[in-house]
Amino acid sequence: MTDEDTFLTEAFRRQLAGLVTPEGIRQIEAGDAGAGLWQELEDSGFVNAMLPEEAGGAGIGLAQAFPLIFAAGEFCVPVPFAETMIVRAMLSAQGLAAPDGAPLILAAASPTYPCGRLARHALVERDGVPTLVAVAGSGDDVFGTAAAATLAEGEVIAVLSPSPGAVMLAAAAVASALTAGAMARVLEMSLRYASERQQFGRSLGKFQAIQQQLAVLAEQVLSAQVAARSAFAGTAFDPVRVAAAKCRANEAATHVCNIAHAIHGAIGATWEFDLQLYTRRIKQWQLAFGSESYWGGRLGMARLASGHDLTSDFLRLQLGAKVA
Amino acid sequence: MHVGPILLGYGRETARSGNTGNQKDVCVSLTLENFPSATIPPHAEALRSEVKAFIAEQLEGVPAHVRARSWSGFDADFSRALAARGWVGVTLPREYGGAGLDAFARFVLVEELLAAGAPVAAHWFGDRQSAPLLLHYGTEEQRRSILPRICKGELFFCIGMSEPNSGSDLASVRTRAERVPGGWKLNGQKIWSTYAHKSHYMIALVRTSGTSEDRQNGLSQFLVDLSLPGVTVRPIMIGTGDTDFNEVFFEDVILPEDALVGSEGNGWKQVNAELAFERSGPERIYSSLVLLDLWARLLGDNPDPEDAARLGRLVARLAPLREMSVAMTAVLAAGGSPLTEAALFKDMGTEIEQQIPAEIADAVGRRPELAADPELVRTLAYLMQLNHVFSLRGGTREILRGMIARGLGLR
Repeated sequence: MTDEDTFLTEAFRRQLAGLVTPEGIRQIEAGDAGAGLWQELEDSGFVNAMLPEEAGGAGIGLAQAFPLIFAAGEFCVPVPFAETMIVRAMLSAQGLAAPDGAPLILAAASPTYPCGRLARHALVERDGVPTLVAVAGSGDDVFGTAAAATLAEGEVIAVLSPSPGAVMLAAAAVASALTAGAMARVLEMSLRYASERQQFGRSLGKFQAIQQQLAVLAEQVLSAQVAARSAFAGTAFDPVRVAAAKCRANEAATHVCNIAHAIHGAIGATWEFDLQLYTRRIKQWQLAFGSESYWGGRLGMARLASGHDLTSDFLRLQLGAKVA
Repeated sequence: MHVGPILLGYGRETARSGNTGNQKDVCVSLTLENFPSATIPPHAEALRSEVKAFIAEQLEGVPAHVRARSWSGFDADFSRALAARGWVGVTLPREYGGAGLDAFARFVLVEELLAAGAPVAAHWFGDRQSAPLLLHYGTEEQRRSILPRICKGELFFCIGMSEPNSGSDLASVRTRAERVPGGWKLNGQKIWSTYAHKSHYMIALVRTSGTSEDRQNGLSQFLVDLSLPGVTVRPIMIGTGDTDFNEVFFEDVILPEDALVGSEGNGWKQVNAELAFERSGPERIYSSLVLLDLWARLLGDNPDPEDAARLGRLVARLAPLREMSVAMTAVLAAGGSPLTEAALFKDMGTEIEQQIPAEIADAVGRRPELAADPELVRTLAYLMQLNHVFSLRGGTREILRGMIARGLGLR
């Protein structure tokens, strides 16, 4: 990561800090389409960061996109910023133009589609062919996050080269990175609450039982984050890396949400409190785009098919850090 | 140094979209930045194929249930053969008999040894922590007399930290060294010193001033020759019949002046520097890998989907841990001391080491009507009898979580 990449990430984080507010998130959850926030993100240019410079982008790759997506999770961006950035890159790589200014989502088969209600178009897979379709309607918002349990597919906008499983990989990778970012904020909120909330005459964080839980929270968060970062190594999403990342994100999600809410007590689940904005999203990503058993099965099969006698060789050669 | 992208900004900023109203900001001190994406440099990777070939030759025909002893397996001949290749004390400078390689080279070497289940215990403690300790804090005379012999596989070390009344509460040690003319007089007792009965030296953490109420103050480290008069080593047999552990008694043991390692009263700080080495390596995630790989081999190419998913979920937990270990190697190589990070890694690592035998036991027993592979059962049974203690060695789970909490600013 060069200074330039760091600068890009920092600039994006500053933008998000100004653009995304808890009130804004709640308005979108209450039914607003988020057009204002979306336009601001479009104007910022970050949503096109993965496009080549001649197409108005910054030409960044997956490794540089990771901190942006992480930040979107950390700042609880309630519109499909990350998904649109990735879909636009996938279209652009094949010389296809994305529909102007429209929020896009990755819609591999899933019991729920995050940001489904806000998307104008969705990248779906039809017989192994990633296909951009109009979203003609969206089903129940089962997480109250502007998600959709089902999508009605409208006209075909663009057809990509056949690539079975590519939409699922991208969707799961993005969900893992958003989860990783959201978890950073959940840890931070839990630490803050533990240091402020007084019970039995001292702050919660002074109790050993609470300290032990917060340590486990940090462990789960860090390992999910490291796994998510690994899914964004290289030039294209790799099934083994994405499987490990989504599997780890999903397993961690249960621990992280349980502990964070245990630390906060009932107040953390209330509408007024921001913690639940994050944990409901973490749960939506947990349900979407493949469970730990699904990705664990794929990862296990990949391990067995790898021909390696040693799991350590598999970890090193297929899941280890890559030279940037 | 081969530290990859350090993603500045992660967690650095404080919450702006939280319930910010009247709440003070917190700064999370443990973030993804603490585990920079690091790759093992080519000079270190170059060692790997040679090490693999050496191990394949040395361990030919050794069954899995023996290899499953991992870094608890003691074989002086193996350690000497390894030393003959120049692979004991690789990080020590050449002038002290080492190979002058860096922490990455040691990572590669150790990763391969552990993955194969090589019996490394004889040289393990000296290689991992005593030699780096002496290099860093020892006198020139100590370095010249001891380090080359560690590297040749002639001197084996054990660790003297715990005492009967100082387990997790390490700062309460009571073994005492008193100044006497020309040296020190040592009295007290250490316990759980792995392979003390087969070691030549112990690095002991003892009190040189004050009382156990003085806690971390007044502790010092000593290089104790276990052949000295007044030293009694008594093996402790555990339930499996293994006698790796020992009690070591010191009765008016006269140590020479130069047995002191580092400076008097600096023992606690020195021990903590050691612990970053002790807790950050692959041995905290690989202790059950021989079993996992035997099971994987038996699953073959056409496994039951439930078994494949179980295997994959374990691999998914191992993958970020290996990344963390490489990241900490980079930090250590750059002169850092990632103590909190190592605590976090070790706690999670020993959890997966404990989980692997439990998962495989579940997988094997899920279909009791099928005959299980006898070697798998032997290996599994061995680890099932030991995996519950994996979280105890090198600092217990509860102590580590306390350290993480301190790193998070809670204590």
